[in-house]
Amino acid sequence: MTISLTRRRLLAGSAAALAMPRLARAQGAKPRITAISQWSAGSDGAAISALGKLFEDRGGVWQHNPVPGFTTDMMNKLRAQIMAGDPPAISQLKGPEIAAWSKIAPTVDISPLVKTAGYADKVSAELGKSCQPGGHWIALPLQVYRLNTLFLSTKGMERAKVSKAPTTWAEFNDVADKMKAAGMIPLANGGNRPDDGQKFEIALAGISPEIYRRALMQLDTDALNSKEVLAAFEQLRKFANYMNPNIAAQPWAVNLPAFVKGDMGMVMTGGWAQGNLFKAGATVADFSSGPAPQDSGPPCFDLNADCFIFWKSKGADLDAGQKLFAEIVMEPSTQEMYSKITGSIPARTDVNLAAPGFTDGQRNSAQVLRDAIAKDRVVLSLAHNMAQPNGITAAMIDVLTEYVHNSAIPAAEGQKKLVAAVAGAK
Amino acid sequence: MRTAATHPAAGKAAGIEQGVWRRRFGGALTGLAIWLPLVASAGHVVVFTAWTTWVSFTASSLMPDYTWVGLRNYFAVTRTANFQIAYVNLVIFGGGFVLLTMALGLLLAVLLDQRVRGENVLRTIFLYPLAVSFVVTGTVWSWLLNPGLGIQKVVQNLGWTDFRFDWLVQSDKAIYTLIFAGVWQGAGFAMALFLAGLRSVDADLVKAAQIDGAGPWRMYRRVLLPTIWPIFITVFVILLRSAITSFDLVRALTAGGPGISTMLPTLVIYDFMFQRSELGRGSAAAVLMLMSLVVVMAPYGLYVRWQRQKQARV
Repeated sequence: MTISLTRRRLLAGSAAALAMPRLARAQGAKPRITAISQWSAGSDGAAISALGKLFEDRGGVWQHNPVPGFTTDMMNKLRAQIMAGDPPAISQLKGPEIAAWSKIAPTVDISPLVKTAGYADKVSAELGKSCQPGGHWIALPLQVYRLNTLFLSTKGMERAKVSKAPTTWAEFNDVADKMKAAGMIPLANGGNRPDDGQKFEIALAGISPEIYRRALMQLDTDALNSKEVLAAFEQLRKFANYMNPNIAAQPWAVNLPAFVKGDMGMVMTGGWAQGNLFKAGATVADFSSGPAPQDSGPPCFDLNADCFIFWKSKGADLDAGQKLFAEIVMEPSTQEMYSKITGSIPARTDVNLAAPGFTDGQRNSAQVLRDAIAKDRVVLSLAHNMAQPNGITAAMIDVLTEYVHNSAIPAAEGQKKLVAAVAGAK
Repeated sequence: MRTAATHPAAGKAAGIEQGVWRRRFGGALTGLAIWLPLVASAGHVVVFTAWTTWVSFTASSLMPDYTWVGLRNYFAVTRTANFQIAYVNLVIFGGGFVLLTMALGLLLAVLLDQRVRGENVLRTIFLYPLAVSFVVTGTVWSWLLNPGLGIQKVVQNLGWTDFRFDWLVQSDKAIYTLIFAGVWQGAGFAMALFLAGLRSVDADLVKAAQIDGAGPWRMYRRVLLPTIWPIFITVFVILLRSAITSFDLVRALTAGGPGISTMLPTLVIYDFMFQRSELGRGSAAAVLMLMSLVVVMAPYGLYVRWQRQKQARV
């Protein structure tokens, strides 16, 4: 019996054809990547957008959802997406969190890609180790910041009649006193928790990197009770007195115009301040940067690095996107472009920083990193979640931020509280 | 084919039958529309509260992990400085906010009760702050109270160069700024309730007091305010609940304050759960806050039941 073509059968057949999955498309999938990070604004936002443009120029589809705020806000969104079963293809993550988070969701093994690019030899061993918690690569480092960097305002130095950058904490206090006498605000104020924490760790790293390592990275109680930590608390109290309390309630960016004009003398933070200053319109002549004061020995390097972790995703287009992204990130030209915008130094140690676009500050940072690796004077940042997982970091920073904002707490009591906080959070 | 036209009797019966079914179906639909959302939302609250309580007894950190650890999370949370400061702040903020809001609301209500001419306009104006979300209130007040931007700077620019009003950036005084912002927002609400109460007092009572020679002050103190004391209780409980669960006001105004000096229990919970990725400890803090709410609400529930029994006996 022949089957006649009726209108009903024609409609049913076309509906069925439309409902079939598009098998033919999947073969030539356009690489697509979904990403989240904390870089929504400023020079960091500009740099990640530039990276996205690079990705799209190479034929990919870039879908980046920045989460404004600090790293912990980004991690909240990441956890929500992981629990919903839909992690982004890549996300920013750093330090011990890479090992902790890799246990809760499956990741992609990118060791073959790393091997092809020969990337493992090009990045420092510590960074590489943090990206291989299970023995194989699941994350890629992108940029490295030196946290203990001192920026000096050119106009500010003229106003306070300071000719050279301080190299010890005693000299720093002298310079700050001179600036205060000249009617300026000596030190820029972050006003938020991570900034209070980072000022403490810069003080401690400048006093003794060995005690820093034992106290803040290994949480050794004797080191936490040592006189070096007490001296760091005393220096932190001096910082608090050199900062402007009114700015505490305002966003960090209000410091920048005052810094350029010479109303504020010094900024002590990571290399991203350079990126933000350039984005705010400052030029190389407006400021100088160098290592923060180091009381003895060559300058140490307080390290903060950003990595991208690769989560296992569903979809051939996301797999292709991850492959393309990994290749792009490992290239020296990408890292060079990225670091020029943000003010960091590239994770690759073979990028030529003598090229124009980099500042002397960045070249100095890279040189200090090389020397510090050789002499084992690299320490990991506490305030930026490199040294400890989130729970312990937050407990310690509670103590530090309370100490900075309450001048009635003496240094010895601050130290006792820190020891108690570490004991309670472990 | 049978139709209503050919068989009128059958058609009428079919009409009645249709009406019955339609009513039954309408009743079922109404029941569904009421009961389904009610059960869903109540069940949602109960189930998730129970789950949070369970998680608070487990070793959860980054993700839920159902290993039983007993009261360890509770001990760890109550020992942190964060938590202890938060509960001290709660007493200061809760007490100050509730008492000041009630006092200001009562004053405004009594003043508006005097049959002034622009009463409707004034009442609306006093109620406006309630229409603004707590986040907006906190943000605007943070600008007003900022010493470099707000009231202090304006007064200093006007000439009083020694004027200081920098409570917002002082660790020991920042908690009081929260009370200002909260009272500004809540006084209108208290005023509205008190005014309604004052207006609802029996006019005969007022007339009797006037005949007995009571002046306005004595009238309020001896007659009107005692009559509306159930409203005092209601306003007190609502404001206290609002103080205990206040999160967005603190977050917008001080974000925990200079250092950690204006932490409140809600911020402690948020901090543990979402900033520190310690779900177990965050859940323990949440259960503790639930306990403190029960401490407030249970007496009120008992009071309402006692009221009802008293009325039933009368």
